Amino acid sequence: MAEESFLADDFLRQLMSVGEVDLLVGIPSYNNASTIGQTLQTVEESLRQNFVRERVVILNMDGGSGDETRQLFERRSERREASHKGLTTLRTIHRISCEYDRSPSQGLALRDIVAAADLLRARACAVISPATTNLTPSWVANLLRPVYRESLDFVAPLYERSRFQGLLARDLLYPMSRAIFGNRIRELYSDEWGFSGRLASQCLEQDVWQEEAIRARPEAWMAIKAIGAGLKCGQYYLGPKTASAAASGPDIVEAIRQTVGNLFWCMETNQSTWNGRSNSQPVVTIGPDHELSSDGVPPSQEKTFDLFRSGVNELEPILASILAKDTHAQIKAIALTDRAKFHFAGELWVKTLYEFAASYHHAVLNRDHLVQALVPLYRGRLYSFLQEHANSSPDEMEGQSEMLCQEFERQKPYLLERWTAKRE
Amino acid sequence: MKTVVIQGLSQAYSNLVHMFAEFLPRLLVMLVIVAVGLVVAYALKTILRAVLHVTRLDRLSEEAGASRFLRMAALPSMTELLSRSLFWVTWSGFILIGISVLGVAGLQEQISRLFLLLPAIFVAILILFLGLVTANFLSRAALLAAVNAGYPSPKLLSWSIRFVIWALAISMALEQVGVARQTVIAAFSIVFGAFMFGLAIAFGLGGKDLARDFLERSLGEKKREKYEEPQPL
Repeated sequence: MAEESFLADDFLRQLMSVGEVDLLVGIPSYNNASTIGQTLQTVEESLRQNFVRERVVILNMDGGSGDETRQLFERRSERREASHKGLTTLRTIHRISCEYDRSPSQGLALRDIVAAADLLRARACAVISPATTNLTPSWVANLLRPVYRESLDFVAPLYERSRFQGLLARDLLYPMSRAIFGNRIRELYSDEWGFSGRLASQCLEQDVWQEEAIRARPEAWMAIKAIGAGLKCGQYYLGPKTASAAASGPDIVEAIRQTVGNLFWCMETNQSTWNGRSNSQPVVTIGPDHELSSDGVPPSQEKTFDLFRSGVNELEPILASILAKDTHAQIKAIALTDRAKFHFAGELWVKTLYEFAASYHHAVLNRDHLVQALVPLYRGRLYSFLQEHANSSPDEMEGQSEMLCQEFERQKPYLLERWTAKRE
Repeated sequence: MKTVVIQGLSQAYSNLVHMFAEFLPRLLVMLVIVAVGLVVAYALKTILRAVLHVTRLDRLSEEAGASRFLRMAALPSMTELLSRSLFWVTWSGFILIGISVLGVAGLQEQISRLFLLLPAIFVAILILFLGLVTANFLSRAALLAAVNAGYPSPKLLSWSIRFVIWALAISMALEQVGVARQTVIAAFSIVFGAFMFGLAIAFGLGGKDLARDFLERSLGEKKREKYEEPQPL
């Protein structure tokens, strides 16, 4: 078995003692001592309330926490076992904690989770982030149930967002991944998701776990694998999400390196999955398919525009090697316009992103550098978006977002043209 | 008198004939060696070019940014440059062997010296190439990091890194071929020292407000203006 080469002996021994299971919940952690106890309690409650007869295991995969995350998980497990045994569930809930590496990596944590799922023949699995502070038992059940009872192979979450939250996901990741891979999964990059044992086995066979793009953000790759294999994907509306202050997420540069780098890498390694698709299809969606709340005020973005303008100026030779001449000229022209009249049009944004993706494919420069060169341009687009939608209603913003998605789909032939063109 | 002249001329003629008789076969051997060298060099060039195409060296060179510099210097692609270099190094080696066969006094020693220098030249070229690639990669990484973090004068930072690595690579390459070792080390020390001194003065004079600001913030007397972007994910 492939997993024999990388699973630690002790972890393997604990898995063997569990035997086969129906459900598996993985909790990757790194310095989450303040929240791990609450997360474990919520997961257990969910399993007791919703899966009374199922055989279940909860795995805590730790990335070398310096605090007491693992110890707290283990201690709480013992206490829970003593207090709840035989009261509400017909089966023992097994809990295992393991250190997968000395440094945190979502990809390596997921590798061990899918290996465990394959070994224990789990039918449905869910990954839950201990950084989510408003996790409820229904979240866990909503990620597991569609896989376990409705035979879906991948379930993404859908979160309620305020108008100015998650703009990278709404303005780049969702519309671009939808146009490329043809499936309308809104949250390809999230900390919680569900998947089937079948998908876990297929992913385990892939030799990608040490790739930089997978080490940081493996979830989108998993969804794209499911799409490519013709497996059933869906999404479940979970409601608003709040994260602990200590885990407020990566900054804009790191977020773009991780997510856009991963998206380009997935395009590069799954060309046969997407180059024949011309439009997108809706996926099974439980609950509303989007939910923008009207709260939130646009943050002051004076510096965002300055960073865009200086970035276009300072990175001119790098951008010239990535973009087509006319696209580069248009970006330079808008960078010179007055701040109040500044507008980064959707059409230009889509063209820019497709040229970046094609240049990534042709490796015109180091790929991580190429992705980093996108940051100033994203800031320009962000500034334009915030100016344009300072007073827009959620419905208007949603309408604009849909138009952007259609623009991505309309320009896809241009991407293919750039992608297959021989380099000069 | 007449006999002596005729004898002298005949001696000179026979010497000339003897010299030609000795030299012509050597010349022929040299020409054969040069011709064989040409064939061997061409074959090696073709093989290396094919191998480098398979290993996608050009893509690697493009990624590392070395190709851009080659284009700026109107040089061919990395694959072409290396295969052509191999051709000329091989053929030059054969030409030198051929010349040594001629047995021209004084040339032998120079040729031996040149042969001894060839590995050092090769290593020096390698050092320069690695220096070029490293300088380009690190300076671009610094430029991107500085631009994205909004630091002032990112190009200055980037060029400083490039300059320091170039200076280091050039001095190492020259030292490798043994060109005026003492002068090179002294020149490097002076250039590097002057550069650092210049930076120290520039930062000292230009950055005194920045340093004061930093100290004030560190001592908790002043709050930094916070710049926050909306959560991207």
